[in-house]
Amino acid sequence: MYLFSNAIIYLGLAISLYSLLIITLGISTKNQKFVNSGKGGIIALLLCSSLAMLSLLYLLGTSQFQYVYVSDYTSSELPIIYKLTALWAGNSGSLLLWTFFLTLYTAMIAFSRKMKGNPMVPYISAILMANAVFFFFILAFVSKPFAILDAIPIEGKGLNPMLQNPGMIIHPVTLYLGYVGLAIPFAFAMAALILKNVDDFWIKMTRRWTIIAWLFLSLGNIFGGQWAYVELGWGGYWSWDAVENASFMPWLTATAFLHSVMIQERKNMLKVWNISLIIVSYALTLFGTFLVRSGVLTSVHAFANSNLGLYFLIFMAIAVIGALYVLMSRYNLLKRSAGEFQSLISKESSFLVNNLLLVGAAFATFWGTIFPLVSEAVRGTKVTVGLPFFNKVEAPILLSMMFVMAVCPLLAWQKSTVKNLRKNFLVPAIIAVAAMGLMIFLGMHKAWAVIGYGVIALLLITHFLEFYRGVKARRKMTKEKPLVALYRLMIRNRRRYGGYMVHLGIAFIAMGIIGSQNYDLETMKTVPLGGSIELKDYRLNYERLDQKKEGVNDIVYADITVFKNGKKLGTYQPEKVFYGNWDQPSSEVSIISSMREDLYVVLSAWEDDGKATFVVKINPMMNWLWVGSFMIVIGALFAIWNGKYGNVTPRYTGVCKEVA
Amino acid sequence: MKKNTLVVIGGLIIAGAIVFLLMAATPGSSGVELTLDKLLATQDQHQDDYVTVEGLLIEDSIKWNPDKIELQFDVKDNKGNLMHVIHHGTKPDNFVEGVITILEGAPTKKDTFVAETVKTRCPSKYEGQNIKNYDPETHKDKLNQPAKEQ
Repeated sequence: MYLFSNAIIYLGLAISLYSLLIITLGISTKNQKFVNSGKGGIIALLLCSSLAMLSLLYLLGTSQFQYVYVSDYTSSELPIIYKLTALWAGNSGSLLLWTFFLTLYTAMIAFSRKMKGNPMVPYISAILMANAVFFFFILAFVSKPFAILDAIPIEGKGLNPMLQNPGMIIHPVTLYLGYVGLAIPFAFAMAALILKNVDDFWIKMTRRWTIIAWLFLSLGNIFGGQWAYVELGWGGYWSWDAVENASFMPWLTATAFLHSVMIQERKNMLKVWNISLIIVSYALTLFGTFLVRSGVLTSVHAFANSNLGLYFLIFMAIAVIGALYVLMSRYNLLKRSAGEFQSLISKESSFLVNNLLLVGAAFATFWGTIFPLVSEAVRGTKVTVGLPFFNKVEAPILLSMMFVMAVCPLLAWQKSTVKNLRKNFLVPAIIAVAAMGLMIFLGMHKAWAVIGYGVIALLLITHFLEFYRGVKARRKMTKEKPLVALYRLMIRNRRRYGGYMVHLGIAFIAMGIIGSQNYDLETMKTVPLGGSIELKDYRLNYERLDQKKEGVNDIVYADITVFKNGKKLGTYQPEKVFYGNWDQPSSEVSIISSMREDLYVVLSAWEDDGKATFVVKINPMMNWLWVGSFMIVIGALFAIWNGKYGNVTPRYTGVCKEVA
Repeated sequence: MKKNTLVVIGGLIIAGAIVFLLMAATPGSSGVELTLDKLLATQDQHQDDYVTVEGLLIEDSIKWNPDKIELQFDVKDNKGNLMHVIHHGTKPDNFVEGVITILEGAPTKKDTFVAETVKTRCPSKYEGQNIKNYDPETHKDKLNQPAKEQ
């Protein structure tokens, strides 16, 4: 097994190198045979990475502790599911997973039906192969998943208890799928530039892949936030930590690209900008990995320090310099045949504003993340900018973003006249202002919250109007029943209405964020047995402290009966779990959840006489975040699903004489 | 004027606004990150700053007052510097001998740090080491280096 698994990694490196070289050779000599051989290499490579991953899964599943990775991250009494998910608990395993996804995506493109006979395929394959070479190199020489110990330990070190949570099963996978996914648009962009062909086909394919990557990236961030919320016991979901920022930045730039590419589609403008956004998104995924794996920043998340980050930095530098070179050499071509704005107030210009805001938000995040490094280099002291900085800077930017999102659907392409502005906006604006007035009247006095909810109200109204007007127009023509009309309208304009659904999801998330950030309550109290804690309209009676055993884990728990306005909600058990191998307990919080608010109870400490300390929090509107996330997924899937109507991929119109 | 130029000017205004926002927000919400020995040496200068500092926890020094919800403990670095920490909050998970604590707060009194947040960075956090076997010496070199390396 040892020989086999290591051989497979080296074989993978050899095959990826071979494929890269033979495809490049095939392109330069225009020899289809060479290219086909390279494509065969892609399949072989997929096989290699799958086998390597399966062997690691097998080793983890059967607890073969002579392997460093297995003994570092698992122990024999761990449930099988966590034994397997330990695959992405550490550096080398997660890189193996990454490599697997990369080869999977590459094979999907190289053998996709839509791409058949397309001269872009060899270029895309070659670029992705270059990525694969890098990852296999890392696996083979820097971070070896199949390293072996001299002596076989009897027992492994076990998986960190914090990673033993369903959120951790799925969060890394989705995040990696998103990270790797952004390599695909990058490869498409480079291929198109090299072929001097940035046409509708390119836009369509690139956008589709970007949406896929974007969706996974969103999911990764959301699952990460949810994991932090239920597992870490501080009652929050996002702390602007360097590692979180690392995955938020490419998300912002990818979002910007998805919007600005529409202007390119319509008006043939912003081509350089779009390509730059793709390059930046891709580079940010590598930069993020560098941040996470190198330990240059103080972060509670960081992986063990290693020189791995340095390799990522070098690879990123090569990729970015190469990409910029290609971009510059094709600059004139892109510059030509650009359209022009016809009005200051139009959908196009609102997209432009949206882009600036998104990129601005990404830049602000970047600035805050690397500021300690910059200040240390410049002034010698490491100046940190924390939560307040990000909240101060990002809140206005993202709020303006929401505002643009709210008005954009009602703006016309090309040109909006004052007359149709008034017609479209008078009513929504009045309602939104009235809603803000009502909020103040009802006793909301926090300016940010009122403005935020006002903007979101506007957004909900304008989006509702979009659906309403679409249905009305359709019914006029077809006389269908409203629901039928809505359904047909949507499936015939998947991109548009999928996009709107995503917008609504974002609005829900924003409502959750504003609510939970502005109106959360917290109390910390030590109470004797039988005592009670009161917070807002909740009363928590501390009834009992006891312990139990679950497998190898010892659990200390408190029975707490919760009353709301005197009505009993039930008995809950916040716990501290002492995981088998670990000295120190982890908190297992109790969350009583409703659409209105979450009651969040942590058992912090206890004394010999039964006194116990609890942290109790009320986090309003948390569920809105999860509902909004769900809507984003539905919307994004809806937009990329291949429908029957009007969703034909445009015919490829570029050069044809080359190899495919 | 061409419409494109107008749009570009509008864009520049937005970009300028964002940069302005950044500049305005940076000084107010920033703090400094210091090593333990540096902090102890220059404590007077940093009384009003929001300081981030890391230190190794000394487990025997932990005093937990459940009624006042006050946690007191000492942290040290590898040069033998010692600092007393007061935190009005609960003990974080993983609070054991030799764990690296990340403290944020202010050094109000001599050799005493009032921490607003106490986080632990177990070196084994994602690298499943058995904490029982964790040897504080392992990370000795890291604490002696400038903060960048941590």
